[in-house]
Amino acid sequence: MEPNRYRAGHLESAISFCLLALLFILAVGVVVKQADYDMSRFGIYIEKTGAGEFSVMRVSAFVPAGFETLSRTEIYIPGNLYEKINGKAPLYIESGFEKLYTQRFVSKGNDSLWMELFVYDMANVKNAFSVYSVQKRADVELLPNMLFAYQTANSLYFVHGRFYIEIVGSAETPELYKAMTDIARKFISDVAIDKAMQIEELTLFPRENLVTGSSKLYLRSTFGFEGLNNTFVARYILDGHIITAFFSKRSDGQDAQKVAKNYYNFLIENGGRAKPIANEDLRRLQIKVVDFYGTTEFVFAIGPFVAGAHEAESQYSAERMAVMLINSLSKAVNND
Amino acid sequence: MTESNDKKIQRRQFLARVGKAGVSIAAAGFITCKLYDKQGPKAGVDIGSLVTLPDFSVPDKPGQVISIVKGASRVKAVNKAIELLGGIKRFINEGEAVAIKPNVAFASPPMLGATANPELVAEVVRLCYKAGARQVIVTDNPINDPSSCFKLSGIGKAASNAGAEVILPRPNLFKHTMLTRGKLIKNWPIFYGPFARADKLIGIAPIKHHHRAGASMSMKNWYGLLGGRRNIFHQDINTIIAELAMMVKPTLVILDATQVMMTNGPTGGSVKDLRWANTMIASCDMLAADAYGCTLLDLKVSDLPYLIKAQNAGAGTTDYESLKPIFATVS
Amino acid sequence: MKIVTVRRISQIFFFVLFVWFCIVSTVGEKFWQIRAWPVNWFLQLDPLVAIGTILTTHTLYMPLLWALATVILTIVFGRFFCGWVCPFGSIHHFVGFLGNRRIKTAEKIRLNRYRKAQRVKYFILIVFLFMAAFPSIDATLQVGLLDPISLVSRSFNLLLLPIVDKSINFISVSARFYEGAWLILAVFFVAILLNFVIPRFYCRFICPLGALFAILGRFAIWRIGKNKSECINCKLCEQSCEGGCEPAGKIRISECVLCFNCRQDCPYDIISYQNKSSLDGEITNPDISRRGFVLSLVGGIVAVPAIRLSGKLAGNWYHGIIRPPGALPEEEFLKRCIKCGQCMRICPTNVIQPGGIDGGLENLWTPVLNNRIGSSGCQLNCVACGQVCPTSAIRPITLDEKKGVGEFAEVGPIKLGTAFIDRNRCLPWAMDKPCIVCEENCPVSPKAIYTQEIFETIREGILTISKVSGNVIEVQETIMPERFASGDYYCVLDGQRRKIKANTEDAIEISFDEDIEKIPAAGTKIEVQVRLQRPYIDIEKCIGCGVCEHECPVSGKKAIRVSAEGETRNSDRKLLLKS
Repeated sequence: MEPNRYRAGHLESAISFCLLALLFILAVGVVVKQADYDMSRFGIYIEKTGAGEFSVMRVSAFVPAGFETLSRTEIYIPGNLYEKINGKAPLYIESGFEKLYTQRFVSKGNDSLWMELFVYDMANVKNAFSVYSVQKRADVELLPNMLFAYQTANSLYFVHGRFYIEIVGSAETPELYKAMTDIARKFISDVAIDKAMQIEELTLFPRENLVTGSSKLYLRSTFGFEGLNNTFVARYILDGHIITAFFSKRSDGQDAQKVAKNYYNFLIENGGRAKPIANEDLRRLQIKVVDFYGTTEFVFAIGPFVAGAHEAESQYSAERMAVMLINSLSKAVNND
Repeated sequence: MTESNDKKIQRRQFLARVGKAGVSIAAAGFITCKLYDKQGPKAGVDIGSLVTLPDFSVPDKPGQVISIVKGASRVKAVNKAIELLGGIKRFINEGEAVAIKPNVAFASPPMLGATANPELVAEVVRLCYKAGARQVIVTDNPINDPSSCFKLSGIGKAASNAGAEVILPRPNLFKHTMLTRGKLIKNWPIFYGPFARADKLIGIAPIKHHHRAGASMSMKNWYGLLGGRRNIFHQDINTIIAELAMMVKPTLVILDATQVMMTNGPTGGSVKDLRWANTMIASCDMLAADAYGCTLLDLKVSDLPYLIKAQNAGAGTTDYESLKPIFATVS
Repeated sequence: MKIVTVRRISQIFFFVLFVWFCIVSTVGEKFWQIRAWPVNWFLQLDPLVAIGTILTTHTLYMPLLWALATVILTIVFGRFFCGWVCPFGSIHHFVGFLGNRRIKTAEKIRLNRYRKAQRVKYFILIVFLFMAAFPSIDATLQVGLLDPISLVSRSFNLLLLPIVDKSINFISVSARFYEGAWLILAVFFVAILLNFVIPRFYCRFICPLGALFAILGRFAIWRIGKNKSECINCKLCEQSCEGGCEPAGKIRISECVLCFNCRQDCPYDIISYQNKSSLDGEITNPDISRRGFVLSLVGGIVAVPAIRLSGKLAGNWYHGIIRPPGALPEEEFLKRCIKCGQCMRICPTNVIQPGGIDGGLENLWTPVLNNRIGSSGCQLNCVACGQVCPTSAIRPITLDEKKGVGEFAEVGPIKLGTAFIDRNRCLPWAMDKPCIVCEENCPVSPKAIYTQEIFETIREGILTISKVSGNVIEVQETIMPERFASGDYYCVLDGQRRKIKANTEDAIEISFDEDIEKIPAAGTKIEVQVRLQRPYIDIEKCIGCGVCEHECPVSGKKAIRVSAEGETRNSDRKLLLKS
């Protein structure tokens, strides 16, 4: 018989190509399948919080251009927050702290340029504002386009919804600074927050003469007195003098009266001397005035609010402050 | 011709193969459908495989709940005690299978009182047959080695001489159970096999002082139904005894206080640990039996927390007086 | 295009795919990390795994449904998997080819003739299947020992990949270790080297999956065979026959792996892939004798009870076997684990290791935690292992279930075991040296390790005062400078304990805040004590994660070791009664 090595016929070629096509489809199928991934099933990355899912992966995803992540994202809860921020932990824990995510980023070109992002989940915007405001350094530059944000030479601090964010850099360079603002911008655009960031109570502070960005919220105690919790505080400049105004919304008028009285007693017990009020209208409102080692303290109750002035350098400016506050707060009381 | 024959054979073979292949595929598909498990295995044991002990109790007869008979002869006393509650026929019907669970916990000689008295067990077996039972089983899951326990306590021989079948524990007689209202008996193995087949259940226990629980009487007797590493329950002994009372609903318990182990329980070891109290208690309410029984140990109900726990769970009452116990004496 | 070409492309394709799946099995979001790559696909396609688990568990776990596709295709087309898909087979094919390139054709034909020993793989299959089937209480799944996909998966993931990655550090930042990898190496390389003896040695003689395919492919509708009767019996078709199926004569259909080399090599175009029987006859049945069948059957049935006589699943259970979180109770686990090594590969901390036989023969290559290896015990917030287990021997648990929160709050966290402090080795317990590394690293909150403070007089700690001035106590003895400066040392004088700040050769400086009211006379004795915090385990809270063991500075035999008592998966190993 003649050697007649076979050559692939039409059928064989057709089947061969079909099989190749099948292999190709399989490859495509595998590639398509891998794109639809949910890292949360591996556990290590996702924690669910109240305002929907906040993925830790997203924290490392805030990496700015020209930088890369350095080390793993760390997560802390009230039980071990101390391990990260040591003595500062009680401040957060007492203010409703739930979780802290930290992530370091390092410059791709320069090892010595790095920064650490701290994202504190404070459970609601008031808590976040509180820890932001009470730690706010004096004489810092407020960031123009953001409601509660400021920067120092090497760091950035701001509030976004329930989160308080700090970004601390290893050096004071413009490159780092730009990266930090990048992170802030990404954070604000990527992280959805429940409602608008307004803290309504802050609008109750009279606008005139208010030192911008000086408002704070003390959750536990104010001016050393624990009865004055949940108190908003802001600074004013009246007649060239600095004066601090404060108010706190209590559950009702009776409670407000009680707290006002307690604070007054506290001042007296600690060495304050009661002073008479000059202004007739104010006297009618039962405003208490105390001279406290040289500065003047005012405290009164109006509606459900306890309010007053703190460390006024002159009684006159304190009275002016009181009047402004009363006007502003009575509007709020009447609107309720 | 051969060509077309060949072709025919070829086609037949082909069709045969297609047929076989089709059947194989169908079989594979069928098996897959039947056994398809979307979820995968779950933690813990399947609820479906949990068992529950049947309720062996007989209808209440007020005034005939608990009887207390004084007498030195166990045989006479137990007969009288059961008679006072309506006789054995009230409890055992003709043709029924009866399981008797005596205390065979230790490989201890009868005279030390650590286990149920063999004569007593044999008498109860005999009574059951007298009532027309078709089968009587004597069984327990002892602490020590089962066959030594049944042998050295004398119960094994006494029971089989009386015509009962002695069943020793085997691994396949244990099944998992869950007490819905319980905290401890959750998905725990119990000695289930012999009791699943029975219609009635009688518990027989001596009264003993117990180092951990305070006393070991008719309720603690059911500890023998627990399997697995049950000594872990000693960490919360009162709760487990209470849960045993919730789990087991016997027909009758016989609490033998002819000789009471006053000290060094539950194993005793010396005849000096025993005191003659010459009392036999039969009861449909094991809490009442134990409540009366503890007085023979010079204890009060309040000394045994498991009694109150069980009472609060509704397993019976410790106020035996309210059940109008029937007292009697036999010579 | 020739079919042989497609077959080669297919082998390369599946081999590359397999290696890629091995590479991407790292937890992470990048393209070369796990994402949703179907890394278990080969194992899921493997009908030996599916049938094995059906026999042991009487269920077919959903992801293994792929095996049905393989089964159906095999029933219709024959052993395509062996010749076209199996990555292990492709390695053997290639090595066999390399080994035989220079050999004369006549010798090649001789090497490829059918040998009776090709029956052995059926016996191996039968033994495994009967170990899995009977009796159901004692069933065990041991197919993973010799199943080619499990074997090659183990070999790549636990052996080849770590060796290659050691130098380039691409997959893992630090080197990964796998205990007992030498045995995996031995099995893998012996299997490969045997191809120099006879090509596709493993496939022909050992592979139980091949045996299974042979049985399934008996009624293949299309098969290799002669389509003409003019065969001159030159046997050139057998020079590259991969299956050893003798296409030159009566072809053994069950041994044919569809390599199509015979079709390629036949100079007369006699061999084709056809639906009519080969014109020179076929042998469809696997060539096993009844005696062999019965012996294997008995062997399979007796093997498991014999192994279990060691009591390793009863009272004699080995406390050193700590299984990953989500692992089933031991008996159930052994019915599902196919020893593929996926969990060991993906574990981010490298703590899951292939087991040895110290816990019993069935423990070989099953996942066991070794807290001394890797970066840190079992991380609290990780549940990766269960996600990649192909048979759910390790269940795919959620983080909530592992930590005992949310809907699992009542049940509590999954415990892998309990840590036990070896007071004979622990520094504060036995050596009077302060250390609380274990307590610091315990990840649960509240911590499962707590300490109690105790002061112990140190060795040669009784010193004699020569003079006291201010807060400096001069002593007559000579002491090592700065020995007491760590803040852990105190001196007891007049019954009062004061912290030592620093010391020189002959004087101790105590802390300023603690004045010595009454200056003691020279010759008074003082005691130097060390403040120790001795660790205790709160066994209700300990989850057995092993971080403490990993961090313990007594780095050889650790002073705190996790042991399997108290693991939640086996209720009879409970330490405590939970109220």
